[in-house]
Amino acid sequence: MTIENTKAQMRKGVLELCVLSIIQQEEAYPSDIIHKLKEAKLIVVEGTLYPLLSRLKNAHLLNYEWKESTSGPPRKYYSLTEEGTSFLEGLRVTWKELNSAVSKATKKAKAKTNKSTTQE
Amino acid sequence: MNKIFNINLGGYPFTIDDDAYHKLDKYLKTIRRHFSGSEGCDDIITDIEARIAELFNQELKGQPIVGMREVDRVIKVMGTPEEFGAVDDTTMDDKSTKKAKAHSTSTESRRLFRDGENKVIAGVAGGLAAYFGIHDALWIRLIFVLGFFFGGLSVLIYPILWIVLPEAKTSADKLAMTGEPINVSNIAKKVEEEISNLSDTLNEFTKEFKSKK
Repeated sequence: MTIENTKAQMRKGVLELCVLSIIQQEEAYPSDIIHKLKEAKLIVVEGTLYPLLSRLKNAHLLNYEWKESTSGPPRKYYSLTEEGTSFLEGLRVTWKELNSAVSKATKKAKAKTNKSTTQE
Repeated sequence: MNKIFNINLGGYPFTIDDDAYHKLDKYLKTIRRHFSGSEGCDDIITDIEARIAELFNQELKGQPIVGMREVDRVIKVMGTPEEFGAVDDTTMDDKSTKKAKAHSTSTESRRLFRDGENKVIAGVAGGLAAYFGIHDALWIRLIFVLGFFFGGLSVLIYPILWIVLPEAKTSADKLAMTGEPINVSNIAKKVEEEISNLSDTLNEFTKEFKSKK
């Protein structure tokens, strides 16, 4: 077990939430999504995104349409389906719960380590 | 001097060096093989090709020809199927992806490991069972036990396998261990491969021996 592995596992868990959120803000074509994910350091290799998109599409959470582009060939723009929107809401709720639970748990742990260091 | 190809990648035309072309072609084929059988295979490939085309345009900055350098860079940015396959391992649960996974591994040949998750002593029998596609490792164990009574050959073989075989630790190892479904042609192919491998090593060995002499 390495720290890198654990970090990767954590990122994987939130990746779907992030991708769906990005697409909800505005229809996006894969490179837009890549840029945003890379900025947030959520993915390491770009290839990770494409199977994920295809999976979400096959689960009917996403849809895409081809749109003309000013520079080059038409691009695939992804948008959320109704099912996708409710799916995302579900994920958001879970994320909030998880987030507060995690910060509570880590806060306690932090307080404890602080305490033990002051005692010493 | 280098031969060049003209290709259409994601709707963009590119001129690409011979060696770079073959590397890119191999890379894309590996990806296709990895996802073949999954519902969205074509979608994935189109998206990836479009992205590679974009990256080439960024990399080239007006240069006329795609070379090895650009291809290497792009492959590094996109990652190997194993690298993005690693994500699939834990996040994929639905049927279609499981199918995809089973399919993708079926194209790679199987490797012999010790199975740490299916073991009585060291997982040798478990690994062998996975390798030969036998559902229950009990049969292999039975053979070992019988071999112990009839001539005691397994006393010799088991420890050797224990020493020689690595344990399947990573998920990639485990997938490689349970690789392709066994059918007659696969078995024949496997045997052929093994024999040619063996004869190669033997040849090398004898050469070395001779040269030492």
